[in-house]
Amino acid sequence: MTFVPARAGAVARKEWFHIRRDPFTLALALVLPLLMVIVYGVAIDFNVKEIHLAVSDLDQSQASRRLIDTFSSSHYFRPRPEASAALATADLSDERARAALIIPPRFEKDLLAGRGAKVQILLDGADNSTVGPISQYVASIQALASRRLAGVDPSPPYQLRTRFLFNPELNSRWFVIPGLTVVIMAILSIFLTALTVAREWENGSMELLLSTPVEPIEIIVGKAAPYAALGILATAFVYVIARGVFGVPFAGHLWVFALGCLLFLVTYLAQGLLISVLTRQQTIAMQFSMLTGMLPSNLLSGFIFPIASMPRLFWYLTMLLPARWFMVISRHAFLEGSGFSELAVPFAALALSCATMVALAARSFRRTLE
Amino acid sequence: MSEAAVVEARGLVVRYGDFTAVDRISFAVGRGEIFGFLGANGAGKTTTIRVLCGLLPPSEGGVSMAGVGYEQGERAIKEKVGYMSQRFTLYNDLTVGENLDFIASLRKLEPAAYRRRRRELLELIAFDKPMSAMVRDLSGGIKQQVSLAAALLHDPEIVFLDEPTAGVTPVGRERFWGLIRRVAGGGKTVFVTTHYMDEAEQCGRVALMREGRLVALDSPAGLKKTVFPEPVFEFDPIGRLSFDKLSAYKTHEAFSFFESYGPRFHAAAASPELWAAWAPRLEKLFRIRPIAPSLEDVFIRVVEARR
Repeated sequence: MTFVPARAGAVARKEWFHIRRDPFTLALALVLPLLMVIVYGVAIDFNVKEIHLAVSDLDQSQASRRLIDTFSSSHYFRPRPEASAALATADLSDERARAALIIPPRFEKDLLAGRGAKVQILLDGADNSTVGPISQYVASIQALASRRLAGVDPSPPYQLRTRFLFNPELNSRWFVIPGLTVVIMAILSIFLTALTVAREWENGSMELLLSTPVEPIEIIVGKAAPYAALGILATAFVYVIARGVFGVPFAGHLWVFALGCLLFLVTYLAQGLLISVLTRQQTIAMQFSMLTGMLPSNLLSGFIFPIASMPRLFWYLTMLLPARWFMVISRHAFLEGSGFSELAVPFAALALSCATMVALAARSFRRTLE
Repeated sequence: MSEAAVVEARGLVVRYGDFTAVDRISFAVGRGEIFGFLGANGAGKTTTIRVLCGLLPPSEGGVSMAGVGYEQGERAIKEKVGYMSQRFTLYNDLTVGENLDFIASLRKLEPAAYRRRRRELLELIAFDKPMSAMVRDLSGGIKQQVSLAAALLHDPEIVFLDEPTAGVTPVGRERFWGLIRRVAGGGKTVFVTTHYMDEAEQCGRVALMREGRLVALDSPAGLKKTVFPEPVFEFDPIGRLSFDKLSAYKTHEAFSFFESYGPRFHAAAASPELWAAWAPRLEKLFRIRPIAPSLEDVFIRVVEARR
C-alpha cells in the first residue's frame, strides 16, 4: 500500500468545501468552544464566595457584633441583618440567603458567665453543592471567633497553616478551563469524523471514491485532516482565552501539552471513524458519538466529578477512557508544569489507547471494504 | 470475439463465507460494445461489477480488463475503468468544477490534459452552464450526464454504468442513451445495468444473471430466439375474465408460458398438437395474434424462472 499525499490532499480539499458550505459543521467547530468557555468559565462558578448570611442578632452586644464581624471580615460571608429569627429563616427558604446565623438574647451574658453560650447556624441542606464548603468555613470561623471572644492571644501553641499548591487561590476556573480543552476536542473530533465519514457511506459516495485509484488510508487521512485542524484551532482558541481572559497560568511545557493534544485527537478521530464504519448512517453515528464520546468525556473524565470519589467499578472503567488520561495531562501541564517523567503513566495510557483505537478503526474499515 | 476482447472474465467465483454470490461465470466483451447486464436484485450483478472494477478480488478465477488483471494490482484495473453508479453521482454541495477537479486530482491527471479532456467531455454532453454551478441546482438528467463525464475523465477503455438512468425522465433517458452510443462509437466498451427493458433492447449483447450464475448471453434478438423456440402469441381478452380463470391459464397444459403484459397477455404454445386442440376454444375468449417475444418475456422466463 502506498500513500500519495497529493490524493489525501485532494480529499482534504473536497472536505474543506463541504465544511465551508455546511453552516452546522462550522458552527459546531467555532461556536461550541466559545459557548462552552462562557458557560463553564463565566456562568458556572464552582467557588463558594460571598455567601449570603442572614443574621438575626437578638443580643445586640459587643460580643455579638464581634462574632458577626468575624464572619464578614472572612470575605466568605456577606451578612444580611434581619430583625427576628423567623425572618432570617424565611430568607433561607426564599433563597435570599444560603445560611442563617441566629444569636440568642443572652449571648454575651452567658459567654461572660462562662455558661457556654449557644449560637445557631442554619444551612440550606437542599443545596448539596454549597453545604459542604460552607460548613467548613463555619468551622474555621468558629475557631477564630472563639479565640477572639475569649480575648486570648490568637496564637495557639502550634499553628496549622494550609497552603494550596499550584492553585493558591483555589480558583475553580483554573481547574475547569484546562479540562475544557479535553471536552471540546473530544466532541469535535468524534462527532465530526463520525458524521462526515458516515455521510460518504450513507449516500454511496464511498463506492465512487474507491472506484478511483485512491487508497483507503488516503481517504481517511484526507477526511480527518480538516477536522483535526479544526480541533487544534479550537484548542488553541481555548488556550488563548484561558491565558488571556481568565488568567489561567501555564506552568508547563507547551510541547508536552501539544503532544498530549495530538495523541488524544488521533485517538478520538479513530473512534469517530470506527463509529462511522459500524453505523454507516449519520443519525445513528451521531447518537453513538454522544454516547461514547461526549458523555464519558464530560462525566467520567474527572472534568466535573472527581474520579477518586467514584464507585470502584466506575473508577476502573475510567481507566479505559482516553479523556481521563488527557484530563490529567492537560491540568498538570497548565497548573503544575509537569514534564514527561511526572506524566509517564497518563502518557503511556493515552498512547496505548491511541494505538488500540487506530488499529481497531483501520481493521474494521479494511474489513468493510472487502 | 476473443482476439478483440477488452473485458474478459474467466471462471469468476466470489464467496462470502458459505454464500456464493458469483458462481463460475465467464464471458468476453469486445471493444466498442454496449454490453447489458441484467438480473434480479441479489443475482450477483453488483458483485460481478465490483470485481470487474478492481474493487473486489475474486475468490477464484481471474479478469482481464484491457489487458490487466488482479495480478497487476487493483490500482492497475482502476486506471483502465470508469465507474458511475445510480446511488451516488456527484457531491451536491460542490460545484460542477469542484466535483470534476476532485476526481481529476484523485486520478492524478496532468493539469493540461485534464483541461483538454474536460472541454471535450463537456462538449460531448453539451453542458452549457458555468463550472461554478452548484450540482444541487442541476436537473436529474444533467447531473447524470456530468457524472458520466466524470467517469470518463481519465479516458478509460471500459466504463461501467450501474443503473445510470434510474430516476431520470424518459426524455433524459433517451438523451443519455444517445450519449452511450456516442461513447461506444468512440471505441469505449460500455457495460451497463438497467431495469428498463427498452434500454436493454439497445444493447449489443445482453447477459442475464440468476443466483450468481450467467444463465443467458446473446444479442436481444438472439435471446428471444433461443429462449422462445416455440411460437409466441399476444392474447387480448374480448370480455371480462375473472382473476381465478386467468391465473389458471398460467398452469394450463396448452401453454409453456403465460404472463400478463399490460392489459394483454403473452403466451407460448406448449406443443403444436395441444395448441391446435385448444386454439378454437381460446379464440372465443381472446383476440389472438402471433408476435415476437419481448425482452421482458425473456427476462421473466430466464431470470424469474417461472415454469
